Amino acid sequence: MKHLPKHLRPRWRYLAIGLESWPNAEIDRRSFQRELWYAAQNLLGDVGSAELDASVLHFEFESGIGEAVVRTRRGEVDRTRAVLAVIDAVDGADVGLRVRGTSGTVRACEEKYIRRPREDFEERNVVFGNADRRAICRNDRVDVELPDGFVGATALDIRDN
Amino acid sequence: MYEGVHARPDGESTVARLAATAADYGFEGIVVRNHGDAQTSYDSGGIADEYGVDVVEGIEIRSDDVGQASGLVGNYRSKRTVVCVHGGSLNRFAVEQSQVDVLAHPMRNGDVNHVLAKAAVENDVRLEFNFARVLRADGGPRVKAIRRLRKLRELVEQYDAPYVVSADPRSHLQLRSPRELAAVGSVLGFGPEEVTDGLREWKRLVDRNRSRRSDSVVAPGVRIERDVDTDWEESK
Repeated sequence: MKHLPKHLRPRWRYLAIGLESWPNAEIDRRSFQRELWYAAQNLLGDVGSAELDASVLHFEFESGIGEAVVRTRRGEVDRTRAVLAVIDAVDGADVGLRVRGTSGTVRACEEKYIRRPREDFEERNVVFGNADRRAICRNDRVDVELPDGFVGATALDIRDN
Repeated sequence: MYEGVHARPDGESTVARLAATAADYGFEGIVVRNHGDAQTSYDSGGIADEYGVDVVEGIEIRSDDVGQASGLVGNYRSKRTVVCVHGGSLNRFAVEQSQVDVLAHPMRNGDVNHVLAKAAVENDVRLEFNFARVLRADGGPRVKAIRRLRKLRELVEQYDAPYVVSADPRSHLQLRSPRELAAVGSVLGFGPEEVTDGLREWKRLVDRNRSRRSDSVVAPGVRIERDVDTDWEESK
């Protein structure tokens, strides 16, 4: 099919998103996209969802943190932001999510807000609440594994052993 | 802008982790409002220094019995900077107590009407717009939560009642940044500044209570101020 003339093509905005979850979470592009569509439909209805026309372009998620680029129609950035804010879990894994910034091109968006060199993480044994626990540490953020799930902590809460 | 959070054991993250994430998200501080029966100990000064956000010691009083709640409010008023009351059956009690700072989630298992809204204005008790169910529930419960937030908003606007806004996070993953909350608010029909103002109100509240609890306050309305003339004499 012939391309639309330039002035008739839709105008897009690209949102850079920072994601966070527990270290055992497995999230891929497809499930995040599905969750985004559900969230839009639940919050804004079919009409609103169609107006946003939001889709996930770039997606990366590994060992509890990730980033994504979401495309939306220009002028709908705020509503897309609201839809993203109400995504509380993807595939049953709780996610923390934040819009780092928006740009008019994918390239600017990635250059400015997507920092691909990943932070290193390591598994360590730590003392948390007077007991030995396994923990996954990233910088000074520490996710401690307890029998009933993870606890979000930081270097201030633990002692090494 | 501040956020009122629940830390472990009331939630899944420690105060330090919530503070660290809140700092990333652009908050100036957090108010730790664990329920009375799920308290935690933490070094608020140390955490504040490490992550550059204010950590405020608060409490959310929960009780089925008004008499007991009243005792707890009196007890904790002098110990904590921010005293919240767990909304629901305690709504009436909370808005009639000028010692209470915030009535948390008044519309969850409870209701607010014009009488309570007026009492809240009179006693300077902030009503909370709690976004927990908007952000984390769906279907029927969420529809109900949104409907009730609207009712509360209409009352607050009518009587110009004081209010705070919170996402009520129980872990660092449930925090949402101020801009995101404002965006959600505008979808729900809040005015452009209303949500942000509710987040700022926490800070105003904290500042007021801190100055009230400082040594220079002798009694309500009576404050020892430094004498300007003496200062000037000393500096000479």
